Amino acid sequence: MTMSETQLVDLVISWVRSNHRPGNSRNGGISADTDLIATGLLDSFGFIDLIVFIEGQSGCKIDLTDVDPSEFCVVKGLCRITLRNQQN
Amino acid sequence: MSASRETQSIKPRGPIVPCPPYVERLARRTDSEQPSTRPTLATAPRIRYKGLIQGFLDSAERFASREALVVDDKSLSYKELRGRAAAIARTILDRELESFPLAAILASRSVTAYAGVLGILGSGKGYVPLNPKFPVDRTRKMLALSGSRVLVVGREALGQLPGLLPETDRTLTVVLPDLDDAADLCAAFPQHRFVSSKQIAGGAGFAFDIEVDSAAVAYLLFTSGSTGEPKGVPIHHSNVRSYIEYISNRYEVNERDRVSQEFDMTFDLSVHDMFVCWERGACLFSVPEKSVMLPAKFIRDHALTMWFSVPSLVALLSNMRLLQPKCFPSLRFSLFCGEPLTATHAQDWQEAAPNSIVENLYGPTETTIAVSHYRWDPSKSPQECLNGIVPIGWPFAGQQCRVADHERGKVSETGELCLAGSQVTDGYWNNPEKTRCQFVRFPETGGTLWYRTGDLVKRGENGCLYYLGRIDHQVKIRGYRVELQEIEVVLRKTSKAEQVVAVPWPVADGSADGVVAFISGASNLDDLHILNRCREALPDYMVPRRIYRLEEMPLNDNRKVDRKKLVKLLEGA
Repeated sequence: MTMSETQLVDLVISWVRSNHRPGNSRNGGISADTDLIATGLLDSFGFIDLIVFIEGQSGCKIDLTDVDPSEFCVVKGLCRITLRNQQN
Repeated sequence: MSASRETQSIKPRGPIVPCPPYVERLARRTDSEQPSTRPTLATAPRIRYKGLIQGFLDSAERFASREALVVDDKSLSYKELRGRAAAIARTILDRELESFPLAAILASRSVTAYAGVLGILGSGKGYVPLNPKFPVDRTRKMLALSGSRVLVVGREALGQLPGLLPETDRTLTVVLPDLDDAADLCAAFPQHRFVSSKQIAGGAGFAFDIEVDSAAVAYLLFTSGSTGEPKGVPIHHSNVRSYIEYISNRYEVNERDRVSQEFDMTFDLSVHDMFVCWERGACLFSVPEKSVMLPAKFIRDHALTMWFSVPSLVALLSNMRLLQPKCFPSLRFSLFCGEPLTATHAQDWQEAAPNSIVENLYGPTETTIAVSHYRWDPSKSPQECLNGIVPIGWPFAGQQCRVADHERGKVSETGELCLAGSQVTDGYWNNPEKTRCQFVRFPETGGTLWYRTGDLVKRGENGCLYYLGRIDHQVKIRGYRVELQEIEVVLRKTSKAEQVVAVPWPVADGSADGVVAFISGASNLDDLHILNRCREALPDYMVPRRIYRLEEMPLNDNRKVDRKKLVKLLEGA
């Protein structure tokens, strides 16, 4: 399944809204530029759950081997990595 | 590490987890010998020296121009870091209103965090690390319990000051190396004194000539406490010098080493990172907050030679397919501590770091970082593991262990691990009741003071120790020690429910990833409200991930909450 970046961003935001760490709602203020780790929305285990979710939706494995954390912790960055992996 | 042998009453009561019967008997018999409220090392010969900071100062002499620290993409030589520390040390000595043996530091993964620790030690005081990621309430409690009159604050923690300072009862001298102008803070909090970066004394000429008593406190850490209050563990200079010297020799640390700094400073394993590294003139690489979770790229980019972390990080990297064979060729030592290391993870790491020796370290905060080790040998270690968990091995030279039967304290094959030796502290900070319960003298070992770890172990025929679980309700979550009662105290207060129980969940390979809560009885407050209040009082890893509401708690034959049934409910959910 091929998705646009916007579709994927929406999907990720929707997942995070339902699965973020308790007591950290940020009043729904999650955007493409939100850093999921720095804001405390996800912990490391939540982040892995998100990766599993994205891989299931996109049908491709996400390779973070050479990616900088400042890119993959942000919603937009993670989605771009996914789409790059999908093309390769 | 979720094994809990006893069940627990939900209503608050005295000592929540009672001491074993033999401890009460021994305490009555040797009451006059028990450690005093403010611990002093009674048995070790006292000396005066520079204590924990000595190795850093020696390296700064020998390797002045070599890199000492890489943090935030900045590199500091030993000379530069010594200069920063000197400025903070001199400022503390010049500015503190009332002399006190400890000073607190609220900073993380910044130049100020590291220079602050060294500066406090250089001023002759012990340091109390506080964590900018912790809730302000908890930080305020730790600051108050420590008694510190000086607080060094890094840029990354300035945002906590408006919440922290108004309700801090004593006058603080707040040292701000990263803030040029403290006028706003001075106006807002006239009860405290602020020293901005412009007012900080120059470090030039500061000779670090202050000496400390070997029995003085080098650092004071707080662990989770069963009464709901964090529990202070003072570690003396003699305790930590003993550890640093042993470990530096064991791993032959040298000036070419590139050492990881993965742990938060509120975790005592950070003391290993900093002071083993600086003892021998090596360079410390502070892992940025964003890389702490998945540090594979960081290890490769900086060609680290020594790695130290909790084992759950191996699981994370493995799950993310970031632990490929030979992906960490630069590592020569990989150490794991803080929670059970599984055979699978040890093997995976060994394949990823083929040039590295992999060791499992074990030790509670009270015994200074670690007291036993087991070296992984791919050819025979898999057969030596018990229940798939790597043994905790043998005690370091100079440290003693005793496996004590729970009822009588007699030596037994399986029982509670008790520890003694030069690394073992002699009591909790201002907590004589808890000290009496955890620190004991067995009649047959003379005056030796033993720390009861609460860890259930088995001793093999060759003396090798195997970790089996806990004898109480303490659990490890991502390496952090957590008393479930501390979470329950907060839950009870915030939910106003009749019964509350915290359960470690999910648990895999003997380690918990988090906690969930069960509540029953009248509570009209919604889950989000309760969890928000928990977040204000507890660090992230202690906040329940979810609340389950029950009409009533399942009870066992003793009419106590049946925790095993609660776990079964979770397994079936």
